[in-house]
Amino acid sequence: MRIEKCYFCSGPVYPGHGVMFVRNDCKTFRFCKSKCHKNFKRKRNPRKTRWTKAFRKATGKELTVDNSLEFEKRRNRPVKYSRKLWDKTVEAMKRVEEIKLKRQSRFIMNRLKKGKQLEKEEAISEVKKNIHLIKAPHAGKAKQMEEKMVQKLQEDVDMGDEDI
Amino acid sequence: MGKSKQKGSHKKKNPGKIFKTKRRTKDLDQIHSDLKPETASKLLHQEVDYDVSGCAQHYCLHCARYFIDMKALKDHYKSKVHKKRLKQLREEPYTQAEAERAAGMGSYIPPKIVEVKTTPIEEDMD
Repeated sequence: MRIEKCYFCSGPVYPGHGVMFVRNDCKTFRFCKSKCHKNFKRKRNPRKTRWTKAFRKATGKELTVDNSLEFEKRRNRPVKYSRKLWDKTVEAMKRVEEIKLKRQSRFIMNRLKKGKQLEKEEAISEVKKNIHLIKAPHAGKAKQMEEKMVQKLQEDVDMGDEDI
Repeated sequence: MGKSKQKGSHKKKNPGKIFKTKRRTKDLDQIHSDLKPETASKLLHQEVDYDVSGCAQHYCLHCARYFIDMKALKDHYKSKVHKKRLKQLREEPYTQAEAERAAGMGSYIPPKIVEVKTTPIEEDMD
């Protein structure tokens, strides 16, 4: 007995749960819940359905290629029981899971970083484009002109003083 | 009076009925296996069967449909339905193995996209 994976959403299908559909060419499909079964009947593509694991992996939302993913496999050859091996495997599973989780979360954080950077760039460019909303294009120009005029007048007065 | 939205016999069908497994049409992976040359030639040159429309002489591989004559088939090749189907077939079919890889059993290999299929060359039957 093994925990199968759902054909549509890749979720676990525990023994006694879900539905198995056998097509008329003997190919079997397992579904974890009626939602997956219905979607299959409607011929939806799991790669295009946003909530499935296949979508998330196909569109690069999650970690896809990594050595930590290589441990869990469908092994069709039974292994002879030995207590030592069993203990070691359980321990290793814990460690592998830990590493896997860490790497997956790191991958997602790195992925989100890109968005933040783009957001920042977008904000800067928006401010630059719409600068007239923050600062009127002629703001402070009148004052500047006035100051210039005053300076010039003063200079003229000074010049006049020197002449006399 | 304005034109009515619905024209011809393309009525909106009851989805509950269409998607019953009793009336299940071929899946994309089945069509992919049909497209292999041996099966394809077998499907394209079927014996006369009076139960099927067009006596099973005009078959579209990609859409898994029989047509009544060459003209209908040619028209179908130009249609939106057929082109849409071709686009869907351009990707590798989804398998249980892929579902398992997506679930974390091994690294996920993205589906091969380059698998362009053109419509088979129309043969002059008559």
